Amino acid sequence: MSPQPVTILIGALGGEGGGVLGDWLIAAALQEGLPAQKTSVPGVSQRTGATTYYLEIFPEKGATAPVMALVPTPGAIDLMVASELIEAGRAMQNAYITAERTTLVASTHRVYATAEKKIPTDGRYNAAKIIEAAPKLARKAVLFDMLKLAQEAGTVINAVLFGAMAGCGVLPLSREACENAIRNTGKGAEASLRGFAAGYARATSAAPVDGRTVAIESSRKPASSALSARIQAEFPEVLRDVLEEAAARLVDYQDTAYARLYLDRVAEVLAADREAGGEANALLLTRETARLLALWMSYEDVIRVADLKTRASRFERVRKEAAPKEGQIVVITDYLKPTANEIADILPAFLAEPLRRRAGAGRAMKLPTSTVRGFLAMRALAWLRPLRRKGSRYRHEQILMERWLGAIKYLALAARDVELPLEMAQCARLQRGYGETHRRSREAFLAILDDLADNGQALARGADALKQAIRQAREAALLNEACKPDPLPRREQAALYRGA
Amino acid sequence: MELSFKSEIVKLRLGAGHTFHGEGILAVTKALLQSGVSYVGGYQGAPVSHLMDVLSDAHEYLDELGVHFESCANEAGAAAMLGASINYPLRGAVTWKSVVGTNVASDALSNLSSAGVIGGAVIVIGEDYGEGSSIIQERTHSFAEKSQMWLLDPRPNLPNIVNMVEKAFQLSEASSTPVLLELRIRACHVHGSFETRDNVAPRHSQRNPIRKPAYDPTRIPLPPHIYNQEKHKVEVRLPEALKFIQREKLNDFVEGDLEGVGFILQGGMYNTAIRALQQFGLADAWGKTRVPLYILNVTYPLVPEEIIRFCSGKRAVLVIEEGQPAHIEESINSILRGASLQEPLVIGKDVLPAAGEYTGEAMLNGIGDFLKLSGAAGVDRKAIDAVIDGVSSAKTRAKEMLGAAVPPRPPGFCIGCPERPVFSAIKLIEKEMGGIHVSSDIGCTTFSTLEPFNLGSSVLGYGLSLAAAQAVSPNLDKRVITVMGDGGFWHQGINAVANAVFRNDDGVLVIMNNGYTSATGQQIIASSPNLPQEEGTPISIESTLRGLGVKWLERVPNYQVSEVVEVLRRAMTTTQTGLKVIIADGECMLARQRRERPILAQKVAAGERVVRTRFGIDEDVCTGDRACIRLSGCPSLTIKDNPDPLRTEPVTTINSSCVGCGTCGENAHAAGLCPSFHRIDVIQNPSGWDRFMHGLRRGVLGLLGGAR
Repeated sequence: MSPQPVTILIGALGGEGGGVLGDWLIAAALQEGLPAQKTSVPGVSQRTGATTYYLEIFPEKGATAPVMALVPTPGAIDLMVASELIEAGRAMQNAYITAERTTLVASTHRVYATAEKKIPTDGRYNAAKIIEAAPKLARKAVLFDMLKLAQEAGTVINAVLFGAMAGCGVLPLSREACENAIRNTGKGAEASLRGFAAGYARATSAAPVDGRTVAIESSRKPASSALSARIQAEFPEVLRDVLEEAAARLVDYQDTAYARLYLDRVAEVLAADREAGGEANALLLTRETARLLALWMSYEDVIRVADLKTRASRFERVRKEAAPKEGQIVVITDYLKPTANEIADILPAFLAEPLRRRAGAGRAMKLPTSTVRGFLAMRALAWLRPLRRKGSRYRHEQILMERWLGAIKYLALAARDVELPLEMAQCARLQRGYGETHRRSREAFLAILDDLADNGQALARGADALKQAIRQAREAALLNEACKPDPLPRREQAALYRGA
Repeated sequence: MELSFKSEIVKLRLGAGHTFHGEGILAVTKALLQSGVSYVGGYQGAPVSHLMDVLSDAHEYLDELGVHFESCANEAGAAAMLGASINYPLRGAVTWKSVVGTNVASDALSNLSSAGVIGGAVIVIGEDYGEGSSIIQERTHSFAEKSQMWLLDPRPNLPNIVNMVEKAFQLSEASSTPVLLELRIRACHVHGSFETRDNVAPRHSQRNPIRKPAYDPTRIPLPPHIYNQEKHKVEVRLPEALKFIQREKLNDFVEGDLEGVGFILQGGMYNTAIRALQQFGLADAWGKTRVPLYILNVTYPLVPEEIIRFCSGKRAVLVIEEGQPAHIEESINSILRGASLQEPLVIGKDVLPAAGEYTGEAMLNGIGDFLKLSGAAGVDRKAIDAVIDGVSSAKTRAKEMLGAAVPPRPPGFCIGCPERPVFSAIKLIEKEMGGIHVSSDIGCTTFSTLEPFNLGSSVLGYGLSLAAAQAVSPNLDKRVITVMGDGGFWHQGINAVANAVFRNDDGVLVIMNNGYTSATGQQIIASSPNLPQEEGTPISIESTLRGLGVKWLERVPNYQVSEVVEVLRRAMTTTQTGLKVIIADGECMLARQRRERPILAQKVAAGERVVRTRFGIDEDVCTGDRACIRLSGCPSLTIKDNPDPLRTEPVTTINSSCVGCGTCGENAHAAGLCPSFHRIDVIQNPSGWDRFMHGLRRGVLGLLGGAR
């Protein structure tokens, strides 16, 4: 077969330096005396959207310029480069990666698309599948977190990408020519060369594919030894990690007695779970209920928020994010808008009710928490922790929790099934948010309790029907708000047409 | 401007015997100078912005040569600028993004092409069609036909493009007709090289001014001249053009040994067609092909003699013509039937897509189908099937392995964009008032129609949003909010404002005063701030509006979301009739960063106190319902794995790309979202007082169990 150009397609996001990467490749090709061509479709894609760059390099030195294509053709790509994992998936779906021909070089980090981010629960694309598919769909796959390498090298991702491209063995370009191309751009060349070297080394290493494993470690100190002992004694192995974590959280939130209350509650659920045959299901019902109960019992009132915001660990975390250089000072200003309702929450009922009646939109404030004044104002709220049990919300929350737990136990025993109560347990995910979100989610939660759990007739229609009804109501409520356009204003708008 | 073009200006000066390396659109710019162009104008827009940008940076060199350059008020202005070539032997070129720009320009273009030109008039068209395009999908070809302007669509390699620019001027002069030179997006951005020639100083300029103003009534569009002008087009100009095209061999004939078949293709389609033939084993890397080709560097007018010559002896030809209507295919049919030829069969949109870009895949499938259907001897049908099946099976496998389609990633507002908080505010006011009809405009503003804002019910053209609301407003019981950028305001919007004031329309107009035509690369406009003196004297939008008689006018700083909400509420509810205009002030963040970053870096280096700001979210306070994301869509406001082991859903976070505009924090306030947001100020080169206070705070907070 006559010689063919090496075809390179780069899928990138606007603002990642894809243009510069293309320039480096062209410069390196010119240095090698190889005919080369680059095109792109920046347009408005440069404004954070997905975009592509397409290059062809002819591998014969000093050849007369061949006809080089301006558009990539599926099945005819030698090197597919993706600066982010989803873009590699996009290339797969467009057949720009074929097993006969294509080497895939992609970064495994994620930049989430708006469509993923806006979902109130977890809308993330299952990107692990892309990592799995890569070695099967491509001739060769070089995958690792290039963003991380770039940050370590103090440079932008394009330098690491360039290194990985040069190292993957497809480009008819020497390492020296590539490095010279970077060197000749002047500004930031040193950092770019570091990034290039790091990418090159990874691509030429023995195991270029790095499927990330996500390991989350608990940073909390263990709960008191008495609590731990009780967990060991009363609860089976499969629950202990959750219970340890939860108990520690609740001691931190309130006190040991509160954590004991928690364990009492879990014990009752456990009994019902076992009764309903949950052992066969690895006690998933208890485990999920225990997890969600711990979150609910540590509900975010102003005391909690003030406490979290005035911890040494918080200041440390923010400092780390801000990454100050030696001698620089970090000042934190919190954006708060406590409403009368939220203040009423921590007051005893007789004081809370009058306040709730005049509840308004809240008072917006920017509190400089890292100053003495701001810190004291915030810390003072956190110091109210011992009084939390006297607050109007505390009582209210505990009653509701009991109702929810009651429903779980009831459904487990009545239906002799663990899946149905598990659907109910999952409804505690609706305990979330602040202000408006909290209010709306709570309404939905109460509606499920009223209509489906505490309604004798609901179960009469059969466990499967009820399971489905609870799930539907819950998921709809979780996904509500702006994910889909709110139907109400649309209807209203239609009615606004005169004569309609 | 977004980019600096210093190194490109050096390339524009290259004389004979050098090699130019660079982008297609810059090669065109150089070719204009080599052609002795006397004046250049246009209106910015992808993909031709760089032609304008580089010339606007090159004013010193243009002065040296005696070339007049002007950024025009809009495309109509640019087209009208070509009027200089009607009466004088001046070569002129203008440029814009098409088809939208051609739409705006078409009044002037009709008049120009009717009057005819003495000096060569060339319009460099950025055909923004297909992938990466952000505009309606139509063809410039139709304009060429209806006004009888010639249309060049050169094979997209730099030497040919440059040659065609020079030929375009000659063709224009030979046939007294303006010539459109069409370049698709990728051709504008293609990086290649060509051998340069010396630039030619124009015959006339301030160095050698024309002493005698011309007056020729036959060039005026009034009867009886309009009738003669039309006749002149068909009786003189068209035949002259056809002669020139043949004589100068503007179209290419490529031999091939396959009998009975051939391709007739637009020049712009050539490289992709060759690639498809290569994949089928019917061409080599240098374009030596087994299928005969007739390549139209001139797509209008078609040369009947050449078409008949190419088609004779063929049973089937494939017309590769991107977009619709299929003007070329229809014309070829008409030429062949007019010559009473029953063969060849003309195939085009039968095998190639009727609409949409001719991507590599579309071309592969279309050419493959044609070759199989043609039954030409020497075509390996199995090889064709193998290539095409390979692509479809790769797709199927990917679909099986990945399952769901990956999420789309459309463009959106940049990090820190000043338009974002305004649309957040509109979303908030919608919560109070119910749905509001938002009339949207062209530019960055259009991104509001996408997620997460979903605001904007129609887009009718650049600067036309106010006019587009005219008949909506009287039919709704609530006021309409019209959004327009400052670029749109100066481009055409100002007319609509005048009319709305005059008619006492009861709408609300929000003008995004961000200082530039931001979407096209931050080119300057009449109201741009911080202009160097030679760029002009800025005109304030506010005083312009007051001069137009706008009574209800308020200005609001964009990033103060609560204030924007209040201003919108006042505008929506005031009993005052007439147009209510809100000028939303906030400079384009890209431009601002570009200006401020080096200054701040200098200050830091000089030891001055500089505060760097970004925002953060407390991961243990966030409960993750994403209301903040749906209200802002900021790229730096994103999600990550939840560090809380009891939580399974991701937590919202702000990544290090944050520029500290504060929209997220202000949104949290304005919408009463949650207490997770905080501002982080990093004081660089802190003063003695800063350090003293810092020490004091650390001491006190440390005692109280807070900071370290």
